[in-house]
Amino acid sequence: MTTSNSFADKLDQERWFKYFLIAPAVFIILLIGLYPFVKLIVVSFQNITMFDDELSYQGFIHYERLFEDDRLWESILHTVIFTIVALPIELFLGFLLALLFLERIPYKQVFVGIILLPTVISPIVAGATWRLMFDQRFGPINQVIAWFAGHEVKLLWNIEPILVWPAIMVAEVWQWTPFMFLILLAALSNVDKEQLEAAQIDGASWWMTFRKIVLPAIMPVMFIALLIRGLDLFRVFDVVWTMTKGGPGTMTETVSIYAYHMAFREFDVSYSAAIAFLIILILTVIVIAALRRMEVSR
Amino acid sequence: MLRCKKARNALAHAITVTLGLTLAAGTAMAQSAADRAVEAAKKYSGTTLNVLYEAGLQPLDPKNFTGPLWEKLTGIKINVIESPIDQLFTKTMQAHKAGSGSYDVLNVLPNQMPDLALAGALEPLDKYVDKYGYRDELQKIAPVYRDNQMKVEGVIYGLPDDGDVLIMYYNRAIFGDAKNKAGFKAKHGYDLAPPKTWKEFAEIGQYLTDTLAPKVYGAGLFRQPGLAQFMFQERFRVAGGKFFNADTMKATINSEAGISVFKGMIEDNKYMPPGVEQWGFIEPFSAFLAGDIAMTISWPPVGRWAAGYGKGTEALNWIPETKIADKVGYALPPGGTPQLAAGFSFGVSSGSKNKEAAYLFSQWMNSEEISLKRVQLPFALRDPFRTSHYSNPEYRSRWSNAGDYLDVLKAGAETGLLDLSLLQTDRYEEAMRQAISRLWAKEDPKQILDDLAEQWDKLTKRIGLEKQKRVYNDWANKPNAYPK
Repeated sequence: MTTSNSFADKLDQERWFKYFLIAPAVFIILLIGLYPFVKLIVVSFQNITMFDDELSYQGFIHYERLFEDDRLWESILHTVIFTIVALPIELFLGFLLALLFLERIPYKQVFVGIILLPTVISPIVAGATWRLMFDQRFGPINQVIAWFAGHEVKLLWNIEPILVWPAIMVAEVWQWTPFMFLILLAALSNVDKEQLEAAQIDGASWWMTFRKIVLPAIMPVMFIALLIRGLDLFRVFDVVWTMTKGGPGTMTETVSIYAYHMAFREFDVSYSAAIAFLIILILTVIVIAALRRMEVSR
Repeated sequence: MLRCKKARNALAHAITVTLGLTLAAGTAMAQSAADRAVEAAKKYSGTTLNVLYEAGLQPLDPKNFTGPLWEKLTGIKINVIESPIDQLFTKTMQAHKAGSGSYDVLNVLPNQMPDLALAGALEPLDKYVDKYGYRDELQKIAPVYRDNQMKVEGVIYGLPDDGDVLIMYYNRAIFGDAKNKAGFKAKHGYDLAPPKTWKEFAEIGQYLTDTLAPKVYGAGLFRQPGLAQFMFQERFRVAGGKFFNADTMKATINSEAGISVFKGMIEDNKYMPPGVEQWGFIEPFSAFLAGDIAMTISWPPVGRWAAGYGKGTEALNWIPETKIADKVGYALPPGGTPQLAAGFSFGVSSGSKNKEAAYLFSQWMNSEEISLKRVQLPFALRDPFRTSHYSNPEYRSRWSNAGDYLDVLKAGAETGLLDLSLLQTDRYEEAMRQAISRLWAKEDPKQILDDLAEQWDKLTKRIGLEKQKRVYNDWANKPNAYPK
């Protein structure tokens, strides 16, 4: 009995010692992660603008305003559509590239390195570069189209409503397809070769092999890649800002651009905190739903 | 007897003191405003003044010229802090709110002065102006800047320091060409000359494009929303538009005047170079210098640089070679009431720990003597703003028709129109910028302006109707808010 008690005491001591060791790290994480979040919520219930510092509790005025703000919901709609369109394109192109690079090809590492270059570039630089590429006077895009068309082409990629979204989409897909490619290449490289050979021996078609063996094997990784990119796309700012600043009008305004506009152009600090909280809420719901679905599919 | 002697002594003493004071005051007043500022500032020797400036060419003046000179004269060091123009307001307000005292001297955009003054970010300057006898020299600032860009509700908050005005430049060779003149007169029945109305501007622009394009186009103007909004503000008022109903503060930007100006701006693009919808400051400037467009409207430095002034200056080596140096013509834009777009006044930060020294530096910079040197710096962006600048023989001989240039600037300084100035002006301007970007996207002008009016009304309601009405009426009652 005495032996058992002393053993339990020792376990307790060890446990407390472990807690003691990780306590500083946990404290710092809470400080960095939780404090801004709590502060954000507090600010969203005050009324801080550039000109007024109303720190008293103001109730839900900013949250009520969220529901009356058509521009906010338009920007959310733009963001959702942008995400829904760009994500499958990036996945599809990334997957095709990954399949291509599964084969033995000469200078494979060099090509992989070149393909990955866009992801290394800062998004703001990528956006500025694509803005120049689409420039009506100096940009090569119009020149290339002109060669094919056989006459001068003056497309205003950053102004014409029908062209602005495709231009932004091209820049975004160009920059982030390589990320999808890299993740999927790693996943495809780890598919069990024995299973693939067995399927081949059994006479399974390419589609059947892909659907029954490859897809289930890469699904968890692909899911994570989709989640990461989906969240990135929902938060997209840099590339849109540098190419159109959300224009013409508010035609390409995403929710991040709108939040930035309210916070740093209009200095409606408390309202922008409410917008930020809304975005956090939406993204949290998406992440939880996605992770649950991943658990179910396992 | 004794009392009499005492009284005589007292009288003699009083006369001596009075004479002494009069002489001293006379000597002091005989000094220029610049000298007075230097003398008074010497007691602050050893301190440093932080001066907030628009980033780019503007700070080259205090960095290379006035800053070192002021330090030599007074022992006060000038530390220039640069900021993009669209962040000057934010940085000023943030420093004020934080009580950081980061800046001593401020460059204030005049249409943001009410916001800054009413928020308490600017120090009232009347006491310093009187203390250092600067009122007379302030009166010699060109009327449009003096009467409009100095005070808020009757209190001096800034020393107007920049004659920013959008004037018209035209290629005299094209306008003087006999074939062009004859052809134009045959078609329109009047002489080819700098246009006086927007209708004439469009007819001349269209004619020259029809005749000379693609080598030369009739005109090229700002079209990026941030700059085009200045042109809209001017044209809207020239067409008889008012921004608000002064009694109800309801936006009237969507009036017939607004719609017709928006339609006119879209029509004008047809005779301008392809892709003009993307043109900011540089594009019309470089096209005009290259001789690719016959007319443009821009800030005063364009007129100087197009004539070759400052050529060879290291800070200006980015400017394209002018091919029209001896062909630049100057005129007021159609309507004759140019937009006083942007501009700067010197202000003193209310949070400054060296307010008096900051004021003295501002007075010295702004004084007749020093400002004349500053506006002639080839790389400077400060434009003539004093009546003496326009008539200065040295400046008028800087290039062959510098006199014409200064005469047009002077005319602009009499009839120019102020930028709209309200509480939180930038919010109203931002909505206007968006409206213009929708215009280039070919949306319906009426719909755009109806939406703009609705946004403005919402903003006014949020800021406070009565508060905004007070500020608007203060602005609208200034002599140059609307054409006379």
